[in-house]
Amino acid sequence: MKAINGRQPAGFTRRTVLFIGSLLLLYPFIRFINHRVPRKPKIVEVNGTLKANGYLAKDDFILFSGGDDIWAVSRTCTHLGCRLNYKEKETLLECPCHQSRFSTRGELLRGPAKKELAVFPVEQKGSPPIYYVTIL
Amino acid sequence: MIIGQKIKDLLRDTRWGDWCLITLYLSLVSGIIVGIHYDPAEPFYSTSAIDILVPYGRYFRSLHFYSSQFFFLSAILHYYGVFTKADSYPAKPYSALILTLPVALVLLFTGYVLRSDSTGFSAGMIAEHILEAIPLVGPTLNNLLFSISDHGLNRVYLHHVFSFDLLFLLLAWEHLRRYKVTFSRHLLFLGSVLFFSLLVAAPIDPEELGVFYITGPWFFLGLQELLRYLPPFLAGIVFPASLIIALIFLRRQNRSFRPILVFVFIWLGGYALLSVLALVAHH
Ligand code: FES
Repeated sequence: MKAINGRQPAGFTRRTVLFIGSLLLLYPFIRFINHRVPRKPKIVEVNGTLKANGYLAKDDFILFSGGDDIWAVSRTCTHLGCRLNYKEKETLLECPCHQSRFSTRGELLRGPAKKELAVFPVEQKGSPPIYYVTIL
Repeated sequence: MIIGQKIKDLLRDTRWGDWCLITLYLSLVSGIIVGIHYDPAEPFYSTSAIDILVPYGRYFRSLHFYSSQFFFLSAILHYYGVFTKADSYPAKPYSALILTLPVALVLLFTGYVLRSDSTGFSAGMIAEHILEAIPLVGPTLNNLLFSISDHGLNRVYLHHVFSFDLLFLLLAWEHLRRYKVTFSRHLLFLGSVLFFSLLVAAPIDPEELGVFYITGPWFFLGLQELLRYLPPFLAGIVFPASLIIALIFLRRQNRSFRPILVFVFIWLGGYALLSVLALVAHH
């Protein structure tokens, strides 16, 4: 076999098999790492007291109250995902990474972010009230 | 003039390679020690606990932090110091050694992310968004490497303690096999690193609400600034990759040596400028 084929063709075939083999393995590998367990909407229970026109900051959102309304604005910056902080004096949310700004309703006030913030549904139960915020 | 020459000589004559090896070993060993009390499910809490509660925890975390930083710095100086001697290196092993630099940087970077204070958390989020911005393969790469939003720090932890180190060792293996370091010849340096870590604690941001300006790890500053102006793929992938590619081809026997050298200098100068801008312009 050595004499007839020499080493080149054998090496070439082996390499081709290896190459095709690794390509075939790549598919299950990609499927494997891209698998996500479907995320359930996370419901966060907040039982601090929220003053009229006040706010409560949690890790993922800030709960605001104004008039009769209570709403939760996401703290995830739509630019690159840093966690926004609330500037009380200026009543706006600002990102510590590139200083994008958003209103307390989540509207974009200043870039580099280009999209507005997510606003999450809030349910209020009992008295003193407990707020249930659904993070989608 | 004379001082400039002296600094040049010092940079060239110090045995940075030995220092690299010493700090590499220190970083690996202290990393294993810190890992004993680190919990990726409670990253910030466990890091703070190492600092505050665990006996000598603050010392070992500091040793891990600074030995890794010193490693990276001496690796750069080592590169500079032996640059003219490396002409004889064949292209493949030379490129592998250049690639150890970004891998080491990623190791440093994931270290920041793992401590999960406000700097680390933001750095992680930004990295995730940069990866996702890569056309076609971005989301898969993010799922492989970071995926912090969906899976917490699990993957970052896995790669920090295992895969990136393995990759680093693979790339540097031939080189590491060739050179040995005798610790007893560098007692002063070794002692200084151990002592320095005793004196200076590794940084961690306290948990507070009103943080409006995060400056990120020092080597990330310029990039963070650039992300303000350019889309994440350009700023976070194309721009840094251009330097690495330039360094791979920056060989004196290469006909385009001069233009590449100019490019590298402009890149580094630009990066330094961006980093300064990040520090002073937005407060
Ligand atoms: S991540 Fe918020 S402005 Fe860039």
